Amino acid sequence: MLRFIFIRLGQAIPILLAIYTITFFMVRAAPGGPFSQERKVAPHIIEQQMEYYGFNDPIHVQFFRTLWQHITFDFPPLTSYPGLTSKDIIADTFPVSLQLGLLAMIVALSISLPIGILAAARKNTVLDYAPMSMAMVGICLPTFVIGPLLALLFGVWLGWLNISGWFSVYDRILPACTLGLFYAAYIARLTRGGMLETLNMDYIRSARAKGASERRVVLVHALRGGIMPVVSFFGPALAGLISGSFVVETIFQVPGLGRHFIQAALSRDHSLILSTVLFYAALIIVANMIVDIVQILLNPKLRYQ
Amino acid sequence: MNVQSMANEAQIRSPWRDAWTKLGKNKLAMFGLGFFVAMVVLCYTSPLFYPHSPTHQTLSFGATPPLTMGIELRYDGESEEPDEIITPKEFGDVYAAEAAQEIAKLGNGEILDIDGLDFRESSRTHILGTDSHGRDLLARIFQGGRISLGVGFIATFVSLLIGVFYGAISGYVGGKIDAFLMRVVDVLYALPFLIFVILLMVVFEGSDHQLLLIFLAIGAVEWLTMARIVRGQVVNLKNQDFVEAARATGVRTPTIILRHITPNILGPVIVYSTLLVPAVMLLESTLSFLGLGVQPPNASWGTLIKKGAEKMMVYPWLLVVPASFFSITLFSMNFLGDGLRDALDVKSSRD
Repeated sequence: MLRFIFIRLGQAIPILLAIYTITFFMVRAAPGGPFSQERKVAPHIIEQQMEYYGFNDPIHVQFFRTLWQHITFDFPPLTSYPGLTSKDIIADTFPVSLQLGLLAMIVALSISLPIGILAAARKNTVLDYAPMSMAMVGICLPTFVIGPLLALLFGVWLGWLNISGWFSVYDRILPACTLGLFYAAYIARLTRGGMLETLNMDYIRSARAKGASERRVVLVHALRGGIMPVVSFFGPALAGLISGSFVVETIFQVPGLGRHFIQAALSRDHSLILSTVLFYAALIIVANMIVDIVQILLNPKLRYQ
Repeated sequence: MNVQSMANEAQIRSPWRDAWTKLGKNKLAMFGLGFFVAMVVLCYTSPLFYPHSPTHQTLSFGATPPLTMGIELRYDGESEEPDEIITPKEFGDVYAAEAAQEIAKLGNGEILDIDGLDFRESSRTHILGTDSHGRDLLARIFQGGRISLGVGFIATFVSLLIGVFYGAISGYVGGKIDAFLMRVVDVLYALPFLIFVILLMVVFEGSDHQLLLIFLAIGAVEWLTMARIVRGQVVNLKNQDFVEAARATGVRTPTIILRHITPNILGPVIVYSTLLVPAVMLLESTLSFLGLGVQPPNASWGTLIKKGAEKMMVYPWLLVVPASFFSITLFSMNFLGDGLRDALDVKSSRD
């Protein structure tokens, strides 16, 4: 197991290096620099800024300097937030995004797992068709449609919740539900599929034959195998959760990292763009590794591969 | 029924015909197919018959709710052309409630005369209302649909080309190259692509070919699953007896690929392409919603929903109407894809 982790971490290094290189040259190729503004600024001021942030150095010097800064976690000051570094921004805003993501996952799992299991256990009955049609609706209603509609219903028409902001506990409800509902729909379908496949297996028949109660067969014997598609979905889900949080943070004015990333991209803050992309990539690589480890723990067959 | 006629019947039913029959029995899938075809036809032919232009602004008709009827006003009752077209709200601001009730009951061609001013129902009716610049919302939705659907088709086609090519090579060549190519796909799979698409859109912001770039960027992102599916199919097929037989009788490789492999991967490719179109439309709309996709004066369903979400407190229909069009279209495509999967699935067919 330890060897597996080391191999995966070793593979991560060239991936991160490639991502760094692509991103570095992509932001350099973008028109407009970090100091171009609507108003005309005196050339000597821009020159001073360019010199201070090191944009006048040859490109290969910048490339390796920035790379070294990321390896040693010694970040340069940002152009869009003078005096702060990417570390400050990420440390400040990522906990917000993380909280949003975790709440959304709790919403998603607590809705979808019971629905999916029930639908599989009562296959081809109303308890299967009705929730699964709802799940289909949920998949076709993207975050940026559900979000404003929920805000319209609960914020404007009913007046129960604030439509934007991130201050009280109640302000967490709408963003977390918006982000969670999409995944609830998806996970419910995955759970149903996984459970159905497992319930048809021989060992389930054996369990029934030896007299295990139906509840025990479904919740203990079948669930362990049936949950596998959901576990392997968590890797891609995290990538989706990050993308989804861009939209949800924009809709509900949540001060998370996603909104800062888009702002950084729009204001051409090279350093912040690079750090955020690398941060997200590292996060996803680690999450995928954890998913793989959990899968191996759940499924002994994979242990020897 | 004797054995001979059964054999005849089995001969007539080709797998494609079989699948089509199966699909015809799936009501949801047929609804999906019908709705989607209708949507595509409406969006692309609407300029020919729909009276309102998506870009024509009438400021006095700004943000009128759905089913707003226009009222023609003639100062003397004689002239052919109306002197003004006003909204019921403007009418109600000037005249009492009884007059407003009467005007609402006006039939086609009937005239209401108030103090020598001549009012009648206008042909100018906005079924789904107008946006804040007085542009007809349905015309805007048709225009946005042309772009959203267009992005969906073209980007799907791009990812189809890349994915099939990549997957087929990987599967057919096999060995170390296959392992390497698929490892690349695994790695790419795990990355948050929206980040790269956002960067791409920022890099090429404001260029003339932005729409083309959206097609390419999305197509370049969405080919991974296609590559995996095609590779899996090809690996399965190339070891099957009928391919071996063809090779043994001296059929050349290009012919084997064309005759024996291609028809057999067509099913999954069709199913996945059908499901890819809504996925691509979703991605494009997400970008547009974040302000990074289609730029004005062009509009896609994503930008319409964005505009609607900004003004939903005052003009809720500007959000609800485009969002419904978008969601039902995604719905119909997904139902069609699911239905096709059931109809074409090799596993569930009789064998």
